[in-house]
Amino acid sequence: MAVDADADSVTVEDVSMVYDGSNGPVEALRGVSFDVDPGEFVTIVGPSGCGKTTLFRIIAGLQTPTEGAVRLDGDPIDGPGPELGIVFQEYHLFPWRTVADNVGFGLEQTALSTDQRRERVQELLELVGLAGFADSYPKDLSGGMKQRVALARSLAPDPDLLLMDEPFGAVDAQTQTLLQAELLDIWEATGKTVLFVTHDIEEAVKLGDRVVVMDREPGRVQEIIDIELERPRSRSDRAFGSYYEEILDRIG
Amino acid sequence: MATDVSNELDRTDDLGPLGGAVEPRRLLLGLVGLAGFVGLWWIGSTLQPAYILPSPLAVAETVQSEIASGAMQTALLDSVVHWLPGTVVGTTLGIATGVALGWSRILEETLTPVVRILRPVPPLALIGFAIAWFGIGHAGAAFIIAIGAFWINFYAAYGGVEGVSDDLLDVARSLGVKRQTGLIRKVVLPASLPEIMTGVRTGIGRCWMLVVAAEIFGAPGIGRQIFRSANSLQVDRVIAYILVLSVMFLLVDTAFRLLQRRVLVWR
Repeated sequence: MAVDADADSVTVEDVSMVYDGSNGPVEALRGVSFDVDPGEFVTIVGPSGCGKTTLFRIIAGLQTPTEGAVRLDGDPIDGPGPELGIVFQEYHLFPWRTVADNVGFGLEQTALSTDQRRERVQELLELVGLAGFADSYPKDLSGGMKQRVALARSLAPDPDLLLMDEPFGAVDAQTQTLLQAELLDIWEATGKTVLFVTHDIEEAVKLGDRVVVMDREPGRVQEIIDIELERPRSRSDRAFGSYYEEILDRIG
Repeated sequence: MATDVSNELDRTDDLGPLGGAVEPRRLLLGLVGLAGFVGLWWIGSTLQPAYILPSPLAVAETVQSEIASGAMQTALLDSVVHWLPGTVVGTTLGIATGVALGWSRILEETLTPVVRILRPVPPLALIGFAIAWFGIGHAGAAFIIAIGAFWINFYAAYGGVEGVSDDLLDVARSLGVKRQTGLIRKVVLPASLPEIMTGVRTGIGRCWMLVVAAEIFGAPGIGRQIFRSANSLQVDRVIAYILVLSVMFLLVDTAFRLLQRRVLVWR
């Protein structure tokens, strides 16, 4: 597996997030800490309300924690940027732009020429299997296709970290399986560091090198489990099943 | 690795050369309706003296003679001379102000009370100001029309900008667009374009209707022709000029709708 020479490590240091709720302060996250090595694929799983989306937004630079910090290769993250590629569950494509223009959005801020941008967009579209849809609009695409565009778009500026928040939650099971396999292929081809948030335990075990299992009230890390299985992983595998049960135990 | 996704693609409707603006059945039924309307009018006109309801034929002849004498064209041109600048200025200022208040929390908090006070003032109530500041004539009429355009476009733009999803802005920031000008140009404006275009279109119509009233104190144009004809009981002329007003509105509105369909092809 290729490791991107620029892939970054991620250090989550004692991150806490407290909101002012209507009934007093709400501790969305308490003392969350873990490390991610360059090129690693780490999944974050937990029950709803465990703060995993809050954690996602903090790592993405969209929110500032009340305490603690997140470091990308040692440098603290203080805002969103092209080095932090993000993919949301609801795609959030720009509806007024074609697929090609959506994917190329992040490249317009760079010094690349129009031709170079077009080439890179073409490369990315081929990577996600949408080469023939460059001129289509998001309204013409299915959920799975939109998610592929969202992925290509966030990969365009060559981020050091790929952050995904339940990206396959809005598509049907078949498409989900397809997209999971494609994501792993892309990860193995590009060697990026990936942080993948999900509520789906099976997905967490299937994809991650390690799984960060969270708990709720307050949101915190319960345990980090190494998944020592070769890919591709099969859920009918006994070892897979025992990882699944172990996590289910902790979350349920 | 690339999977075959072509069967997932939704097909868009083929809207044809006019962008779906004219469908055959709709056109036919519309013509039937119009014919019925003219028919009723004609019947009514035979039951009334000409100064209450002239016949469609008489009106058609009047339209012809007005065009022949050039009076129609002059009146139309006069109206356009204040309608166009008034609409353009009012629309532009309305959009700019709406976007500014929709985007900037500080501006919105500072200016909302002022907006609340000024908004309910009907354009015609400002005729006094129009005359005092701009004199009787084109400038004064344009001012009234601009007010009419302003508020509609202000609220449309404001609503459009307010409705832009924060998530879209987050995505743009994470793709390298950090500065406010960039976000406005690349996300906010395109995202609120549908609402803004609706506002422009509504404003155009409202401004046409305002043209007549705006000319009431002396600006030349279609409105003045209508008032003069009404004063001398030339009802056929009144109707003739009203028709011109309607036709002009129809032309401009249809042209704008076609533009809208082309620009908003992504919806």
